Parts: sequence; structure tokens; C-alpha cells
Amino acid sequence: MNDSQLILTIVAAVGLGTPLIFATVGEIITERAGILNLGVQGTMLVGAVAGFWATFQSGSLTLGIVASLLAGAAFSLIHAFASITLRVSQIVSGLALTIFGTGLASFLGKAGSDPLVGEPARDQFDSIISGGIADWPIIGPLVFGHDILVYVAWIAAGAASYYLFRTRMGLSLRAVGEDPASAESAGVNVAWVRYVHVMAGGALAGLGGAYYPLALVPTWQDNPIGAAGWIAIALVILASWRPWRALFAAYLFGAAARIQFTLQTLGEPWSNIPATILAMIPFVLAIIAMIALTSGKRARFLGAPAALGIPYFREQR
Amino acid sequence: MTVRRIIVEPRGLASLRLTLTVPLLSVLAALIIGGIFLWITGDNPLTVYGHMVDAAFGSSRGVSETLISATPLILTGLAAAIAFKMLVWNIGAEGQFLLGAIVAAGIAIAMGDGVPAVLAIPVVIMAGAIGGALWAAVSAVPRVYLGTNEIITTLMLNFIALNLMNYLIFGSNSPWRDPLVSTFPTGRPIPDGASLPRFFNRLDVGIFIAIAVAIFAWYLVNRTRWGFEVRVVGDSAETARYAGIQVPRKILGVFLISGAFAGLAGALFVAGPVGALDPRSLDLGLGFTGIIVAALARLNALAVIPVAILMGALNNAGPSLQSIGVPPEIVTMLQGAILIFAVGGEFFIANRLRRPELPPEVLAGEAAA
Repeated sequence: MNDSQLILTIVAAVGLGTPLIFATVGEIITERAGILNLGVQGTMLVGAVAGFWATFQSGSLTLGIVASLLAGAAFSLIHAFASITLRVSQIVSGLALTIFGTGLASFLGKAGSDPLVGEPARDQFDSIISGGIADWPIIGPLVFGHDILVYVAWIAAGAASYYLFRTRMGLSLRAVGEDPASAESAGVNVAWVRYVHVMAGGALAGLGGAYYPLALVPTWQDNPIGAAGWIAIALVILASWRPWRALFAAYLFGAAARIQFTLQTLGEPWSNIPATILAMIPFVLAIIAMIALTSGKRARFLGAPAALGIPYFREQR
Repeated sequence: MTVRRIIVEPRGLASLRLTLTVPLLSVLAALIIGGIFLWITGDNPLTVYGHMVDAAFGSSRGVSETLISATPLILTGLAAAIAFKMLVWNIGAEGQFLLGAIVAAGIAIAMGDGVPAVLAIPVVIMAGAIGGALWAAVSAVPRVYLGTNEIITTLMLNFIALNLMNYLIFGSNSPWRDPLVSTFPTGRPIPDGASLPRFFNRLDVGIFIAIAVAIFAWYLVNRTRWGFEVRVVGDSAETARYAGIQVPRKILGVFLISGAFAGLAGALFVAGPVGALDPRSLDLGLGFTGIIVAALARLNALAVIPVAILMGALNNAGPSLQSIGVPPEIVTMLQGAILIFAVGGEFFIANRLRRPELPPEVLAGEAAA
């Protein structure tokens, strides 16, 4: 029963959705502070290469994860400085980050006398439980059979939700994203809050990036993440800026990414649908969701931070 | 001890010297960052950069290839410049470029060899522009009539366009696919009648079309009533509404023109140097590079031309680096770094920094210390 296509598809969707959860929750935290970061794609790639390299050098997955978190945070500091201190266009700055990060990750993967590209990972994330309860029908593979980062992603979504809506810091964060001038007069240091949360979001994006070469396909290949960073930006809206909903949105897109493999196994006529057409599904889904969710004033009802993307000038208060 | 904070105040109109200095320094700073990474990975940055200059400009073939690379970048740069000027965030030049290429190649193949060049070439070029504009309309119409955020829709359409092209060549036996090549699929060659005439090595007349469009775009934005209204909307949609400007119609117009420019780039690229709908030659990120061109040109349509030649030179030099063992991706890195510094530099163009004036006794105290 655990070998049925449905179970296998859900398990695969969970795997493909996990890096999306990290990146999406990260971007939610960033956007809640009022900063739009279109650099997620580049940040994920930089986190991926940093994480893979650290594990490759040390043999330690823990060090790989730490490296991806630090690389993601440090890389997004560029965007924080440009958008918070220099107050330039967040859209262009984010795109710049993505272009730079894409080039940087590719370059680092290929440069030097012993390039990383094509190298297998020295260690990889595997199911933490094998046999026993992981073999139980249905709930075994669905609940117990995953690698540790799948559970970390659940905890991350839960923790981010608690932080945003149940803590004082989270309240300050949301205030900064809604109305920075009022937050400032209530004694919140707007710039500081924004810096911290852009970097926290970047760290999560870096971790999400590292999941690809350390868990999904344990080897270094050029651009291991596909378009995941762009998808994550769309998922933020689909999740209406709420970390819990990001969990489900990410798994939905994980399933969409997996569908082409599942249809192959179903035989004719399903297997005749060209892979290139199926590859469009996540993007078509994102566009439909965008039109349905953000048209008119609906984005505000969904919970879009009011000050999202708008530079804050303290002097103008 | 007095804390001397730096005061940031908006500058009025920046001097011409400053608007030239900041982009030049951006390029220099990016070269330094790239140099650091080259040095870390064991290459001499000066050797690598010297090699790139030589590949881009060192021979007549190098110069013609640089201009070939620059041609689509002029147009995707204009696509971004005109849209961003009005705060229309069309990040979909990539997809509009591909749709332009697909439609142009389709029309050219459908017409076949029977149509004379004087008719075939304009038809192919117009088809590409229309293809790009229609692909932009998929985002523009919801933006204008429903208020849908265009950033994500334009972005997602890039990937749909890319998969559509891959479907036409790799996933089906479409008319775009070359029936004579079966091992590794590629596009069917564009008939000679629809191919752009070449005059200098492989360089074709597409470069003149691109430059003419840049001059047209500059005139349109800076010297017509329509362009004036577009600039008003860009400065403040509120003001524009009060002035009786029909803002939605302006946004739609700019969005479609932006898409048409990108589509035109795709048409010129398939009817010119590539000569077929070949995914490997078209999926180069030329739409995204256009955003860098526009930012470095500070959204000025005429400045787009030299900046596109610079970026074209980088793109052209990239692959040649493999011969000296340097990953060509250094070019993407450099271009990304240029954009980071160029967008950061906007702060220094828009603002003046100064130290606050201090009371005389503080100054005297500091002089003594």
C-alpha cells in the first residue's frame, strides 16, 4: 500500500515542497517588515553553493546547514543596505541580487582547478527513521519517513507563525510593515527591525537552497534549484503572508512539480502529455492565483503589509 | 564628544557629470568585486579582463559579434527603460522576447521562400513586435483593469514562454522544428527571403533597426505630448489624474510598447544571427540583462545604446573565457554586480550628503585635539 502512486506522489511533493517552505516563510518574514526582496532566487543559489561546499569540505551536514544560513543572511544584507539605508528601488535591488547570486553560484561551482560541478555530496539528508513506524501503512511514509529538514520546516512555519502573531517582537515587526512612522513614534527602531528580518528571511532562503544539493539531488549541478526562488515569491501571496498557509501552498506546488513523473507512471494517455507542457503548470497556477487574489483591493484584505515596498524616510516624519 | 551624524538631503537636478560618474564607478566597482572572486579562485583578474577586452574588441570579428550581442540588448533595455520610467514593473522582457522570436520565426516559415525580402522582412519584424506586445498584454490587461500586481505575472510568463519554446522544438513535431535533424532537435532555418542582410562579418542590419528604435523611443518619451503625460504618471499618478490624464490607458500603452520592444528584439535575433528558433541560442537571459542596461542608462533611451554595447561586449567575451579555464558565468556575476552598484548609486545621484554645521567652539575643540 505504501508503494501506491498516490502515497509516493505525496511523499515526493513533501520533499519538493520543503525548500519552498523555507524560502516562502523567509520571504513572509521579510515582507512583513515592509521590504520586498526579489533576490530570493539568487539568495537560495548562494545558500545552495555555500551549503554544498561546506559539507563537501568537512563531511558535516550540520556545517553545511550553518554555512547556507550564514551565506543567505550575509547575501541578503546587500539588499537590506540598498533598500533600508539607501532607500533605492527594492524591485531593482532585488533583481540585481538575483542576477549577481545566479552568476556567483554558477561561477563558484565551476571555478578553480577542482570544480564542484558534478561532484556528489559527501553526505546527504536521509529519512531519520527507517523501518518500524516508518513502515506503517499510509501514516508511516507520510508522517514518519521524512528527513530531518522536513520536520524542521514544519517547526519553522509554526515558530514563524507564533513569532508573528503571539510575541511582542512580532507585533513590532508587523507594525513596521504596516505603518513605519507610527511604529517609530511608539519607540520601535524601524531600520533595525527591517535589517534583522531581511537577514532572517535571507538565512531561510539560503537553507532552502541548500536542501536541493544536500537532500533532493545530492550532487552539485549548475542551478540545482530551478525557479524555486521565483515560485516562493508567488507563494507568499498565495499564503497571504501567513506562515502556516505557506506550508500547504508549498506542498501544492511540490505536487505540481512532481505531476509529470506521476503521469508517466499512469501510462497512456496520461504519459503522452509532453513534459514541457506539464512544466508550465506551477507558473500558470501562480498567475491564476495572482489574478484571483491580488486584484483590486483584495491584496489588502488578504493581509499584504501596507508599507510593502515603500522606502521609509525617517526625516519626513 | 559630539556625535557628528551625516545629513542626507535630496538634491535637485543632478549635474551631468554626476550622472555619468556614478554609472562609470558602478562598472569599476563591479570589476573590482569580480576581480576579488577571480583572485580567490586562482586567476589573475587583469589577465582575465585583458582577455575579455581582446575577445570583445580586439578583432573585426570580435567587434561585429559584440554588436550582434548588443542589438537585442538595446531593445530589451528600451523595454525595461520605458516601463520602469512609468513605474510599470515589466520583468517579463525575457518571455516577450521569446514570444517575439516564436511568432517571427513562425511567420517567416509559413511564408516560405516565395515572398520577396522587401515584404518578408518587415512582416517578420512586425510579427515579432506584435507577439511581444500580446504576451505583455497577458499581464498588462489584468494590471490595468483588475489592479493585479504585474511583477509576478510577468515573471511567471517568462517561464511559460520558455517552456512553450521548448515544447515547439523538443516536445513536438511543430512547424518550428527542423524535420531534417532528428538526433538533437533544433529550429527549422528561417527562409533566406526573411533573413536580415549582413554587411560586416556576421553583423546584420538589425543593429540599425535597434538604434532607430532607440532614437524613436527617446523622441516619444521626451518630445511628444504622449511622452510628457507618461512622465507625469511616472512622477505621480495622483497629479496625472488631477491633470486629466487617463492613467489606465497610459499604463496599458506603455506596457504594450515595452512588450513590443522586447518582441522586436526576439524577431531580429531569429531573423538575424540565430537564423532559427534555437532554444540554446535564445535562452540567454537577454530580458534580464535588459533591466541592467536600463538601470545603468538611468532609463534614458539614448544612453541605452552605449550601455547595451558594453553589456553585449561582456556577453560576447564570456564564452571565450573557457579557453583560459575561467567559467563564463563571471559575466553574469559582473553584470549583477554592476546593477547592484548602479541601483545603489541612484542614492548618491538623488541625495547630497553633508556634515552638519557645528558651533564654533566644537570646531575649535576638534582642531586643538
